[in-house]
Amino acid sequence: MISAKSLRYFLAASALAGIAVAGGRNARAQEAPALTPAQVVKSQVYVSMEPVARGKDFEVAVVANINEAYHMNSHKPSDAYLIPTTITPKLPEGLTLVDSVYPPGRDKKFTFSDKPLNVYTGSVTFKLKLTASTTAALGDVTIPITLRYQACNSSACLPPVKIPLEATVKIAAAGAAGHAVHPEVFRAGK
Amino acid sequence: MSRKFHHGWLLCAAALLACGALAACGNSSVKASISDAALQPEPDVAFKNLAGGDTSLVSLKGKVVLVNFWATWCEPCRSEIPLLIGLQDKYASKGFTMLGASMDDDGAKSVDPFIHDNHFDVGGKQEQMDYPIVLGSDEITDKFGGLLGMPTSYLISRDGKIVKKYIGVVNEAQITKDIESQL
Repeated sequence: MISAKSLRYFLAASALAGIAVAGGRNARAQEAPALTPAQVVKSQVYVSMEPVARGKDFEVAVVANINEAYHMNSHKPSDAYLIPTTITPKLPEGLTLVDSVYPPGRDKKFTFSDKPLNVYTGSVTFKLKLTASTTAALGDVTIPITLRYQACNSSACLPPVKIPLEATVKIAAAGAAGHAVHPEVFRAGK
Repeated sequence: MSRKFHHGWLLCAAALLACGALAACGNSSVKASISDAALQPEPDVAFKNLAGGDTSLVSLKGKVVLVNFWATWCEPCRSEIPLLIGLQDKYASKGFTMLGASMDDDGAKSVDPFIHDNHFDVGGKQEQMDYPIVLGSDEITDKFGGLLGMPTSYLISRDGKIVKKYIGVVNEAQITKDIESQL
């Protein structure tokens, strides 16, 4: 679900694309950041085990691929006024959050700032460490996750946005054998 | 080829062109951009000011106005504040005013302490944001044609026409030249 604010940015971006097509007097406006906040990051969600037996730990990874012209604040940005990147699960009954793991950002200098900013660029993987209780519902269980970030390019910033994501985990009876899936995603950063 | 089929191809081509343009914009190296706004009339908007009252653009007619959409969480916005304070200092007596429109979701709750707690180095002097600050909103920015990012500024002539739009941090030489051309 995309917010009304994101829709407004999309319409503004579409209008800019229209100007670019027309190619007229506003040619320099083609250099403007024509992405909406939601378009800046493409996210994929992975679950580490299938199935997950009741009583077992598992992980959910959110892989965020950030448009190369943009960066987003890390989870621990350089200053308190900057909006951190967060992943927030809404856990169904029977699932418990053990930890949220954010990779460190990297300090990067921008022309608009005297000091380096701690940011994410490129591909970033966030992880949620979870436990399925002995009473967790069996079968496919959906975990809604909200990815919140605020992105900028080298000259301008987009407003903060909350992107709704979903992980689906298959819960099996206690003692059921599960196998690791997407190990390449879950090995990263370990 | 039927007329309907022909129109369909035209629509497809237009859609492909628009998509291509959008992709090209998204992948370009992004810089601050300026566009001549072709003397569009200023939108009929009233901003909420920090005292809870209204500040309408119409009430500023007769002055050259630089409307600057910004936010406290926006680093490039913060970086251009000293320049904007300097513009206010330099040109206020000549019929110019800055109008800073904050896009913070929580409005005065964030903006008030920001204004009072922060001092900026303006030509070696520590100064506060002493120009008028108001609260922007999506409804207001829609009337300006929508924001593509912050900071975004609009230069408005004495007779209430938008003469230029700046996306990104304004260039000091450019904005000085543009303001002086309107005074």
